[in-house]
Amino acid sequence: MSAPTIETNALSRSYGDICALKPIDLVVPEGEWLSVMGHSGSGKSTLMNLVGGLDRPTSGSLKVGGKDLLALSEDGLARFRREFVGIIFQQHHLVPYLSAVENVMLAQYFHSTPDEAEARLALERVGLGHRLRNRPGELSGGEQQRVCIARAIINSPKLLLGDEPTGNLDHKSTVMVMELLKELRAEERFTVVMVTHNQEVAAWGDRTIYLDDGVLVREERSRS
Amino acid sequence: MPALKLLPQLLAWTALAAVLLRGCTERRRLSAAACAAGFAAGVLGIALLARSLPATPYGVVRSLLGGSFLVLWVVSVVALYRSTGKGRPAARSAGLTGRPLAAGSLSFFFALTAGGVCACRLPAAGGDLLPLLAPLILVLAGLALLIGALALERRLPASLTVSFPGLLAALVALLLFSSASLLRLDLFSPLSMKVMKGTHDFVHQFMESILIPDHIFVRPAIWGYIGFLFGKEVGFWGGMVIWFTPVLLVLLALRFELLPQVSHIRQGALRRKLLAAAMRERNLRMVIPGLSLAVFAAAAYQSCYPSVEYWDPKPVLVSADAAGEILIPKKGEINLEDGKLHKYLYRQGGHEARFFVLLTPTGKLSVDLDACAICKPDGYGQAEGTVICYYCKTLIPLDTVGKPGGCNPVPLAFSEKADAVHINGVTLMNEWTRTVQSTTKKEGGK
Repeated sequence: MSAPTIETNALSRSYGDICALKPIDLVVPEGEWLSVMGHSGSGKSTLMNLVGGLDRPTSGSLKVGGKDLLALSEDGLARFRREFVGIIFQQHHLVPYLSAVENVMLAQYFHSTPDEAEARLALERVGLGHRLRNRPGELSGGEQQRVCIARAIINSPKLLLGDEPTGNLDHKSTVMVMELLKELRAEERFTVVMVTHNQEVAAWGDRTIYLDDGVLVREERSRS
Repeated sequence: MPALKLLPQLLAWTALAAVLLRGCTERRRLSAAACAAGFAAGVLGIALLARSLPATPYGVVRSLLGGSFLVLWVVSVVALYRSTGKGRPAARSAGLTGRPLAAGSLSFFFALTAGGVCACRLPAAGGDLLPLLAPLILVLAGLALLIGALALERRLPASLTVSFPGLLAALVALLLFSSASLLRLDLFSPLSMKVMKGTHDFVHQFMESILIPDHIFVRPAIWGYIGFLFGKEVGFWGGMVIWFTPVLLVLLALRFELLPQVSHIRQGALRRKLLAAAMRERNLRMVIPGLSLAVFAAAAYQSCYPSVEYWDPKPVLVSADAAGEILIPKKGEINLEDGKLHKYLYRQGGHEARFFVLLTPTGKLSVDLDACAICKPDGYGQAEGTVICYYCKTLIPLDTVGKPGGCNPVPLAFSEKADAVHINGVTLMNEWTRTVQSTTKKEGGK
């Protein structure tokens, strides 16, 4: 059995007096698709930020890909994010004055060095071969999210984080994006942690955990 | 004050030692030991040489400097050739400087030359009574700075590596910077002069071979070009090209260095990561030669605008007596026999002529025009056992002042009677007019 991608032990995060995430023990095996559900303020995004190396915990231990994130320096953490994690946000965060291919190349640039041919290939994989030179404003919401997926996977991450990636997409686009993610995971074998409000979207995962007021209250395996 | 004058040389020595240690990082101890031995040998060798043969040390150190500059030229051309992939792979510091013999020899040679340059800066260098205490203090200071360089080198980021051509460029740059403030060791001014003379000779040969048409219709245009070629600027810019080209070639060689083959790696991210690491390493290897470009520029600047304090007194106005004789007393307000250059200005019929009187090391007075037979009459200054032509920066050793030819000041006939120097005013004016007319009839003089 392969080593878990994520392993937390009594992991917690407080902001002043507010405890956003109470001590949580979680193990996510390599290649698993974990959905995280909960109401607003339940600690979903906090958990995602911690495992993505975007934030540091208040207490507990956190290992991602065998690396103890608490022991990493700021530079080490930046390197970890660059090489290990891909993130898809609800709000896309695409650079509006760059074309689709340039947005993907930007991720390559921060990782190592840009390679346009490879960026084009990534966009073709997500079905945007005909939209390479279009800017985000000229793309639909679903298309923009697919650019985000291409951007997130371009550096071959071992862990893909999604923070409500289908939050502002219609049903048809949501299904398209989820199918695409499923297909890519099968090919690239990365681990997925996806935060969502949507039960239907959560069902695409192998397992779903439920958070409430910073506490892991329940978890269930997907039937499929 | 002498310690302050040695500051540029000592700073350059510290930087040179740090760069050497970084270049020979695999043989750091050996390199440090060779540096210490080389510096001590350089200082003491030159100091002892100066005691027995006062004029020789400058020639020796200058030959070492010139030789290392030539070697840099060869290495830079070879590095550029190899970077195209036609030759064997470029030798990096890990290759050549990783060998004990190469690391030791390289460190010893450059430390020896740096020590020699520092010794030439000692106040009494070249004199007969050079005390050995000053060189010994200099050796101790050099060794202390070497320890500082060791500490400095350890603080440099490990990623800051240097290739062999880059290392050589930095070392030569620091040596040339160190020597640029010493008139008799400076290489840039003589280099510019050589270029100027080369151009001059080339044009002359064309004239001799009648390859330049001497026809009335083309003559003005041709002379315009010849005037430009004879100008000081050609020498300066030609010198600049020769001066900077080797470092630029080294930088180009690094820039064109072939990156590792990664096309066989299937995963794009890994392929790009390897490429980016190779590019980053290459860029870091360009830092030290890049900085040495600035050091070369500083050396050229120092050579063009030396901080040397020339003895250049304001010419004293003199007149002739009824017999047309100019009389200058040997003693009095001005002591002609103090070994310093004394300038005079003579006016007659709306014309004026400048000349100087100087006691040469041979113990004889010399009276000369403040102009030579080649250059525009910008005059002479005195420094470090020489007089310097302000126009072409040629250094004339004091013992050759009074001898005609080349860039030497034009000697004047004079006599010594009753503790005074007698010069004929008409002869002076004629000699000045003839000399100045011949050197300024064409734009640029020399």
